[in-house]
This record gives sequence, structure tokens and C-alpha cells, in this order.
Amino acid sequence: MFMSTQDSAGKRPATAEELASRPVRFAIVGTGGMGGTHAINLAGSPEAEVTWLVDVDTDRANKLSAHIGGKVTADMDEAFSSGDVDVALIALPTGLHRMGVEAAAKHKIHVFCEKPIARTNEDAMAMTQICKDAGVTLMVGHVVRFFSEYMRIKEQLEAGTLGDIAMVRGSRVNPPVMERSPWFADVEVSGGVVLDLMIHEIDTFRWMFGDVERLFAHGLSFTDWHTKRDHAIASLTFRDGTIAHCEASWAHSAFRTSIEVAGSKGLAKHSSFDSSTLIFEPSTGVEYEGIGQQSKQFTYMRPVVTPPHLRELLVFIDCLRTGKPVPVDGDEATRTLIVANAVLDSMRENRVIEFNEDGTVKQA
Amino acid sequence: MTTSTVKVAMLSFAHLHAVGYATILKALPGVEITVIADDNAERGQQFAQMFETQWVPSIDEALAMDIDCVVICSENVNHKPMTLAAAKAGKHVLCEKPLATTVEDAQEMIAACDEAGVKLMTAFPVRFNSSIVALKDAVHSEHFGATLTVMGRNPGTNPGGWFVDPALSGGGAVIDHTVHVVDVLRFIYGAEVTEVYAQSGNKLAGGVSDDTGLLMFKLSNGVPVSLDTSWSRPSNWPIWGGVTLDVIGEFGVLFANAYNNNYDIAETTTPSYTWQAVEHTGDPEMVTAFIEAVRNDTDVPVTGVDGLRALEVALAAMKSAETNQLEPVTQA
Ligand SMILES: NC(=O)c1ccc[n+]([C@@H]2O[C@H](COP(=O)([O-])OP(=O)(O)OC[C@H]3O[C@@H](n4cnc5c(N)ncnc54)[C@H](O)[C@@H]3O)[C@@H](O)[C@H]2O)c1
Repeated sequence: MFMSTQDSAGKRPATAEELASRPVRFAIVGTGGMGGTHAINLAGSPEAEVTWLVDVDTDRANKLSAHIGGKVTADMDEAFSSGDVDVALIALPTGLHRMGVEAAAKHKIHVFCEKPIARTNEDAMAMTQICKDAGVTLMVGHVVRFFSEYMRIKEQLEAGTLGDIAMVRGSRVNPPVMERSPWFADVEVSGGVVLDLMIHEIDTFRWMFGDVERLFAHGLSFTDWHTKRDHAIASLTFRDGTIAHCEASWAHSAFRTSIEVAGSKGLAKHSSFDSSTLIFEPSTGVEYEGIGQQSKQFTYMRPVVTPPHLRELLVFIDCLRTGKPVPVDGDEATRTLIVANAVLDSMRENRVIEFNEDGTVKQA
Repeated sequence: MTTSTVKVAMLSFAHLHAVGYATILKALPGVEITVIADDNAERGQQFAQMFETQWVPSIDEALAMDIDCVVICSENVNHKPMTLAAAKAGKHVLCEKPLATTVEDAQEMIAACDEAGVKLMTAFPVRFNSSIVALKDAVHSEHFGATLTVMGRNPGTNPGGWFVDPALSGGGAVIDHTVHVVDVLRFIYGAEVTEVYAQSGNKLAGGVSDDTGLLMFKLSNGVPVSLDTSWSRPSNWPIWGGVTLDVIGEFGVLFANAYNNNYDIAETTTPSYTWQAVEHTGDPEMVTAFIEAVRNDTDVPVTGVDGLRALEVALAAMKSAETNQLEPVTQA
């Protein structure tokens, strides 16, 4: 039997020793697209156990439970006070992240929170502080740092083989998501395509090049188009002089990402589409029942050994077990969010935004 | 249409586009490259030999000859004196882009050609590229709907030489590579750029000129655009660069890649791996259009004003990169 961490002596976070001695027990809070993926990855790993699936849509959670096990509840407090949760994985709609993280911290449960850390900078700062005060570890799921192709390019940058970096481009395009998850359609609630997708490029480039000095952006998020499709482009200038172009789209027909890094000694680039290793092309004129949902579509993929979404959680588990600092803590995720929200402000107000050295926005 | 031979003087081979233009001229029926004027004797003689014509050291000698028109491929700052001299001599002008390095110079060139009654065409071959012509049709089709955003790129290798000396080029990558895409957008949408934000840098080559540029601007029809003008291709890149436009529309996305019609070839001798043109369209159509306008005394399809408009955007972008502010683009 595992020891309850919510014993009568008062709640305390699970210790490194406890977590090193057994699989880490997760409550998945929000079992939609992202929560479902995390739950399945964790259930397949010997390092973790999924003890609870929390969702107001209990049908959805029950369906997942039928596959991977775990108790189902609509009430996260029930899961958090059960005594068999070490980590809350918050995969709620972005505006609810704070509620989920606060509840977990109150129960002295460590937190892995999906990106963006929150919708507003104020929420992000409050969440970070609450976790610090509660003595629980908070990591935010900036998963692109765990994609092999971005890790390889980061290694090149650290090795200096590309010289002084001058111009970088990052793109992340997707079909519209509002039909599947309507909360995305309201930019005030979700932050639109910038907080869903561009935040990945912002975070990855901050990881590679440091803090942003100034930015300017264009996009559809504050136009009448945004409920059907959204698209944004941003120019970021980093303190080291690197200039970045970021594209984020909910206007394409398939998910694709690309990165290009140009320096004084060379150029590195990667495109998920160009580097696909398995492509399915449907024949025309033939009825074909095919390979599931996507049988009628041109589909491409790159099978991966360790899915990046699992890799980030394995790193988190390792940090919990060893006491190493997590790679993306609340402060780091907040700095990324401040830039992303500034992209939205620039777009809405058609103005250049400058940052202070500490990562906060310079008041105009 | 008359059948008389159109006689051309090539003024300077400082810009190596001259080689491409001369190759096209040489192959056109009813066209003669009468003379190459170049103050660099070695270069002038080399190309005179290649194109089987005579070389003279000064443009005045060339302009005194029996010619109809000139093709100017000098350093950017010399576009103006050469254009003014050609106008004075009554010769039509095809001038390499950017038309000039200042708005005042471009205006003076346009006025001089107008007064002399000679045609002034800015060399913007990209709008003659077949995929760009097709793109123009496609964005205006009802199946595409409204244009919502455009992302343009004109990256290239660093041309070096006078291009990186602002005293001769007027700048660097921003002035060199802004004008093509701006011209294409003006051609497609019939709209002007109203304001621009730009950032530039010189970290690639570490020289005095900028070699990196990223522009964010708006067109008068409301369409937002980004444009990457960087000389970001390493010297051993398989091709010189390219022009791409991604157009986000109401009903879909168009991807134009104007110089993508290549074959890949790896040789065991240097250079080891290159992308060579199968057929790159634009230059032949542009040169032919100029010659036909001269031959038939019709309007040139791209004017000096077109060159000025694109230049205004590049100059406003260079200013913005200094002020870090949105800069208005005004049409002189
Ligand atoms: N890192 C990534 O690659 C990635 C990818 C997609 C989404 N995300 C992030 O994950 C989060 C969730 O996105 P998604 O696409 O999975 O959304 P989704 O709409 O598919 O899932 C959200 C789930 O939360 C449930 N929910 C809503 N309110 C609740 C409440 N009060 N209590 C319990 N459950 C509640 C919903 O019923 C739904 O099942 C977002 O913050 C998003 O930014 C990250």
C-alpha cells in the first residue's frame, strides 16, 4: 500500500523519496484533447499511474477510464482529497488553469499545468506564487522544448556551429479548432491562436535566444474572421539582436510546423511536413474504408520513439524525484505569457511594444 | 508593329543581373546589343567578348551612338546620373531596381524622362513570373474570397561587393529585397503600403550595411503583410535565394514559390549540390516587354513611379528600423 500524503498530521506535498520509490500518481484534470493524450501516455509508462480522471463531462472521462483505468469524478476536490494523488495534471480550458492549480496547491499536490500557464499575466503570477507558498512544484507544459528537432537545433546553437544568429522563423499552422472545442472561439477566453499556438514559438525562441526587447504583430484575432479562422504573424526582436518571425494559424487544413535559424556561419531548418517518414495518399475514384478517421485525407506523420508529451512528463517526474529544478517553472512560463499577451495587445492596438530587462512590458 | 532592329546599350555590368538581361537580349529577334559601357575595363571587355559586341569606357560614348535605349545595371547610386544622361540623349531606359537610393533622386529621374519624352521602366521581373501572374488571378477568384494576410519572403545569399557599401547601394538587404515583393503586392492588389514597422540587423556578415530585415506593413486595402528581406542564405546554399508569398484567404491558403522550378543536382566536383533552374520565368518576359514598348512606342508595363513607390517603402522601413516605430509611408 502507498502511504497517503494527506495524513492526519496535516497535508504535505509528496517528497522526493516517496516519489522515487514508486510510480507517481496523477490526477488528470480535464480529459479533452490534451488531457486525454497525457492520460494515455502516462498510463503506458512504468513511472506513472493515472489514479483519477476529472472532467465536468463525465461521459468523456468514463470513456477514457474504460481504456486506461482510473476513477472518474466531476469534482477535482474529491480527487485531490482522496489521498492517492501526487500530481495534478491541469489540462482544462486555459481560463480555468488558475482554478485547477490553486485547488491542487491547497491540497499540497504538485502541479503540471498545460500551456499557456493562464489567460492573464496576473493569474500566471498569482499561480506561481501560490505554488511557491504551498511548497509544491509547478511545471508548465511548453512541450516544444521536448521535441527532438527543436532539441537538436538548440544543441547546434549551444555548440555555436551556426555562428551569430540573426534571423529566425517559426511557423505552426493548424485547421480551425473552434468546432471541436468552442471555448477557443472567444479570444477573450482563450487568447485565440496566439495563446494556443504562437506561444510555442515565443517560448521556444525565448529558450533559444533569451528575452524579447520589442515586438509588433498583425492578425485576425480581433477581427470578425476570428470565430471561423484565426491567423497571426509577429516580429520579435530579442535582446541579443536576433529577429524572429512567428506565424500561427487556424486557417490551414493540416497541422504543420517549421523552424529556420540563420546565422553568420550557417542555417538550420526543419519542417514537419518535409521530414515526414510516412505518408498516406488516398486514391480518388475508389471507395476505401481505410485507416480510421483520416482515411479520406492526405495524411503524413513522423513516428517518434518517445512522444514529446511523454518526454516532458518523464523529465517532470525525474525533477520531482531528484529535486532538480523543473525546466519550465511558473516564472519562466509567465515571462513567455507576458510576451504572448503583448502580441495580442500589439495586434489589437496596432502598436510596437517594448519590454523592460526584467521581462515586463514597458509602459508607453 | 515595325520590324526595325531595336538597338540597346548596356550601361554597366556592376549588377550581375546585366548578364541575364544581355543573354535574353542576345536571343531576341530584332534586337542588337550595340555597345557595353563600363568604367571597369576588365569587366566591360569580358562581357563585350561574351556578348559579341564592343566595349566603351564611358556612358557618354555609348549614348552618342545610334541606339534606341539603355539598360542600366550600375551600382544603385549611379542609376540617377546614368538615367539623366540617357534622357538627355533621348534614349529610353530600363533601370535595375531599386530605382534610386532617395525619393528625390527617383523623382528627378522620372521628371527628366517625362520631359525628354523617353520611357522609363523599372526592372521588376518578379511581377512577370508566371506563378505570380497566376497568383494574381487566383487571389481575385471568388473561390479564394478575401485576402486576410500575406507573408512574403525574398531571402538570398549575401551579394557582397558594392551591395554591402551603403555609399554605393543606399543600404543593404532591406533596400535590395524590399522592392521586389512590394512591387508584386502593388501589382496584385493595386494597393499602396500605408505604414511599416521594420527591424534590421547586420549580424550575418557583421558589415556596415544591414544584412537582415523583417518588415511588417499594411496595404491601403487593409491587408497586413510581413516581408523577410534577409540575405540569410549561406554562401553554399544550393540556389541564390527565392521569392515566396503565402496568402491567407477566406477559403484557403495560396503558396507561391516563384523560383522553385528547379532540378537538384549533386556533382562530385564543386559546387557539390545545387538547385538549378529548369525554367525561371520573369526576366525574359520583362526584357521582352521593354523592347516591345520601345519598338512599338507603347507604354512600358512597369513605370518609374512603380519604382518610386517600392523605394518609398524600403526607405520608410529603414527609418523604422532606426526609430523602432511604425513609420507612415507617403507617396511623393
Ligand atoms: N501542449 C500542447 O501541445 C497542447 C495542445 C492542445 C491543448 N493544449 C492546452 O491544453 C488545455 C486544454 O486544451 P484542449 O485542447 O485539451 O481542450 P478541450 O476542450 O479538448 O478539453 C478541455 C476539457 O476540460 C473539461 N472541462 C471544462 N471545464 C471543466 C471544469 N470546470 N472541471 C473539469 N473539467 C472541465 C472539458 O469538458 C474538456 O473535456 C489548454 O490550456 C490548451 O492550451 C496544449
